[in-house]
Amino acid sequence: MKKKMIFSEFFKNNGVVMGSLLMGLVGFWLVFLIVLPQLSMLDYSFRFNLPPAEQGGPKDVYTLSNYQQLIYGSDTTRQTYNTVDLMVFVRTIIAAMAVTIFNIFLCYPLAYFLGQSKGSGFVRLLVVLLIIPYWINEILRAFALRIIFGDSGLLNEALMLLHLTREPIDFIRQDIALYAGLGYAYILLMLFPMYNVIESLDRNQIEAARDMGASWLRIHRRIVIPHAKPGIASGATMVFMLSAGALAAPQILGGPSSLWFTQLVYQWFNDSLNWQQGAAYAIVLLASTIIIVLTVMKAFKVNMGDIGK
Amino acid sequence: MSSTALIRIALGAYFVIFFSYLLGPLVVMSLTAFNSSAFPSVSPWACFTYEWFEVLFNDKSIRQGIYYSVIIGLGTVVLSVSMGLAASIVLTQIWPRLRSTYYTMIIAPILIPGVVLGISTLVFWDRVGDFLGVSEGSLLDLLFHNGIFLTILGQSSFIASYAMLVFVARLQRFDPGLTEAALDLGATHTQAFRKIMLPFMRPAIASAAVLAFLASFENYNTTTFTIVDYKTLTTVLAQKVRLGINPSISSLAFIIIALTIFVALAFEANRRNQARKNAVKEGKASTPKKGFLPPFLRGNPAAIVFVALAFVAIGMVGTAQQYSPESCKIQYQEAKQIEIQRRIQELQQKRKIRDQSGARNGPDIFVTPPPKKVQPEGGSGAFGNVFDPGNLNSDKNN
Amino acid sequence: MSSGVAIDLENVWIKFGDFVAVREANVNINGGDFFSFLGPSGCGKTTILRAISGFLEPSDGRILIGGADMAGIGPNKRPTALIFQNLALFPLMKVWENIAFSMEVAGASAAERRKRADELLDMIALDGQGDKLPSELSGGQKQRVAIARALCANPDVLLLDEPLSALDLKLRQHMRTELREIRRRVGITFIYITHDQGEALTMSDTVAVMKSGVIDQIDTGHNIYDHPSTPFVASFVGENNLFRGKIKQISGNEAVISTRRSGDLLAQITPSQVGKLSVGNEAMLFIRPEALELSDSKATGKTSISANVVNQEFEGNSFSVFLEGDGGKQIKMSVPNLGQDNIAAAGENLSLRYDAANAVVMPVGELASE
Repeated sequence: MKKKMIFSEFFKNNGVVMGSLLMGLVGFWLVFLIVLPQLSMLDYSFRFNLPPAEQGGPKDVYTLSNYQQLIYGSDTTRQTYNTVDLMVFVRTIIAAMAVTIFNIFLCYPLAYFLGQSKGSGFVRLLVVLLIIPYWINEILRAFALRIIFGDSGLLNEALMLLHLTREPIDFIRQDIALYAGLGYAYILLMLFPMYNVIESLDRNQIEAARDMGASWLRIHRRIVIPHAKPGIASGATMVFMLSAGALAAPQILGGPSSLWFTQLVYQWFNDSLNWQQGAAYAIVLLASTIIIVLTVMKAFKVNMGDIGK
Repeated sequence: MSSTALIRIALGAYFVIFFSYLLGPLVVMSLTAFNSSAFPSVSPWACFTYEWFEVLFNDKSIRQGIYYSVIIGLGTVVLSVSMGLAASIVLTQIWPRLRSTYYTMIIAPILIPGVVLGISTLVFWDRVGDFLGVSEGSLLDLLFHNGIFLTILGQSSFIASYAMLVFVARLQRFDPGLTEAALDLGATHTQAFRKIMLPFMRPAIASAAVLAFLASFENYNTTTFTIVDYKTLTTVLAQKVRLGINPSISSLAFIIIALTIFVALAFEANRRNQARKNAVKEGKASTPKKGFLPPFLRGNPAAIVFVALAFVAIGMVGTAQQYSPESCKIQYQEAKQIEIQRRIQELQQKRKIRDQSGARNGPDIFVTPPPKKVQPEGGSGAFGNVFDPGNLNSDKNN
Repeated sequence: MSSGVAIDLENVWIKFGDFVAVREANVNINGGDFFSFLGPSGCGKTTILRAISGFLEPSDGRILIGGADMAGIGPNKRPTALIFQNLALFPLMKVWENIAFSMEVAGASAAERRKRADELLDMIALDGQGDKLPSELSGGQKQRVAIARALCANPDVLLLDEPLSALDLKLRQHMRTELREIRRRVGITFIYITHDQGEALTMSDTVAVMKSGVIDQIDTGHNIYDHPSTPFVASFVGENNLFRGKIKQISGNEAVISTRRSGDLLAQITPSQVGKLSVGNEAMLFIRPEALELSDSKATGKTSISANVVNQEFEGNSFSVFLEGDGGKQIKMSVPNLGQDNIAAAGENLSLRYDAANAVVMPVGELASE
């Protein structure tokens, strides 16, 4: 009854033509591009990978086997764990967290500096300089790092020239290139939300605190950081989700022996052509990252509405 | 005093580190585009060359990739901008109690990993095809398994969220009274939208469209799943980079970087002009004086820098007409050859000494000398037998 | 020019969830009238206006324009034109495009629109300014453009939502005259919303005074001022001295109130309450500051009050004298400035008298909070 009233009011406010157009577009987006595809993937992850002829047949029943694959591997006795995949999963999550924390510390001083120096030409120029790398293709950015971190890359050449090392360091195999690349890929998604909230902080608050004799550290801990919390949370959420879900950087910068969880998903889909298995892995990735983000947001008392500001 | 100085130095160092982390890789990559070395590197610097641009322009797969990227980009712009606009308008009208749920739903696609979006799009439309029972090869079947169609849907599912954020920011400054005024004056809802809301949103639509196009153009994670048997620029690049890197990719990066800088500066100049115009209108600033510089450059250091860079670029192209990389390359090749020769001789020298001492002391180093038969085949060993001393001999004989 | 049409609100209720914005409104507005809704902010007067223009539907009751029920008819199909509080001029359109917008959506050619816009620009004395943007006009000019834009639609009813509130005092007074002049020329029904009693009383044929969703009184400005029907109207419109007491005696439309501190006072019962009051009821009695005069004789009888002067203020056309009656009762008196230097010295004891016809008595009720 009430729902009906809301709809009729909506059409009254927008007219039938515009109202249907708005409803149609939003409905298409939410239902056909977001909700149903996710549900469909969830459903898929509980099914066997059957040849087309058997689909819909008696063998097409729900199963947990795709999830068991992640935990126990192809071992049907379930005695041993699938250590390889589980390690990849744990490593992905922990590394994504580390990248996020690294980005928070790296971006905070700059965000503070930009946010508190009111719109001079120099600051505008810095902002433009910051935006430029963001619009360069993800692949190309990873490629750029690969040039630098390669065996005969610039970094090794420089280190050897300075006699800091005798042999080239294998940054790729040691995953240093990968972590640097992940940090690099999403650094601006951390910087800009922080910058936006710090910009909205009234400078007088800082001056008042300084006036009362607060130390530099205390000003940040008691005034700037509490104010910037929604921005930091927003940036951290995006960096964590995107790092954990990154595919390009691990493919290009990852060492041959260590995989990122998304690469496993990719392999199930494109190499093994087992979509059901890939969907199950993707669901695990999605669910666990969402749980982590929600837990952290709850711990730091941040709302969903702060994201995207 | 000294502590503030220390802070200043620390801050300066931090800035240098931050910006070299951010921009350094792009600069290095751009430079490698001009080095004739077949592996993208700046040191050792071989020869200044434009040949990688030629390689790039002649690369059919990249041209094809750009073509599909543009088609997908345009499709994504249309779909995501209209969905984002509709969603932002609905957000301003929605029942307050539904508002936060709704907002969470339309912002979520930004946070869902692109890989997941790609997979879910692929799986869902495949099933829609099955569900509708479309026969193999029919039009719908082709559509639901068409990489371009799927990629546009997959990308739009999250790019629409970005567009929505742009629109929400602009809509906050829209006076709903204007729409009411139009209705009151007899306009239909459609007319009010077209004549009042749309002109007001035009700048936001333009920025959202640019944003959507760029986001689509550079997307990899979603595209790599949904593209099926087509190739976009990013998937072509990813494939190339994974198979092996060469400087023609650097030259593509250089072109993209140059274009990005140009667009960014044009945007910035436009923004400044607009701000100045507004200030003039409000009487807060005087009209710009007629000066030495053309209006585009006035008060815009970024644009001045850019024009300077453009002159340098023109100069470079100019010199390229006379400068022949070929002669340099030949020289470099010769120098390299000589260097190789020198090393070979060194090695031979060493081997001779070793052989002699080995002959004297018995076969304690070559416990099992490689059988002569295998040697001529070359390349069958683990490392192409490059470490086989015999290889050097055959090399020399060539 | 079209002649005005009548508007009737029949038992109109407007609710937002549990909140009642308008309660049982019954209003008959004659065609061609200048009708004002007067009330403090939040009293529901803008809600009524929005219901008349069609932006919201009454929860109950009917709204008739020219006798036709408006239920289900959208704002774009009603013969009304609304002038918004913030004017809502379209910022991206030129002045003439703004004015002729109603013709544009009706499909008129650019030449026709330009011609009509120029006529209206002439009328509002802004000829030659049609190609400017609204942001380039002054506040008063924008005001006139908004009026012209509304008139261009040839409405039967013009609705004005506090259109003068953003202007400064001088301009506001000028625009009042101008609005009256425009109405005289076009002859259509004007419905005017304001919290400024001066605007309502000077311009309107009829005023409805509202408080928290309820219409207290609908009458001519004169009657509202002289014969307020509720304590709210008496205290909201103009200034008033309030005396509380019990009714001691009633004779016809006059009553004697025995006040706690100022003795027995005689006053007229407000017309709507004649016959509804009885002896012994608690009542409120109001006397306007300008109804009080100085009396030569000592204060005796039922139309005189004795009080001590506290201080006085010079207001230009009058003096305001603040007095303290028996028991600390605050009284304000207004004396026209006829060239006197001074009315009374502080501390002086004065006898005040009034005409019983200028004092009203009514049952106890809510007062305006100001």
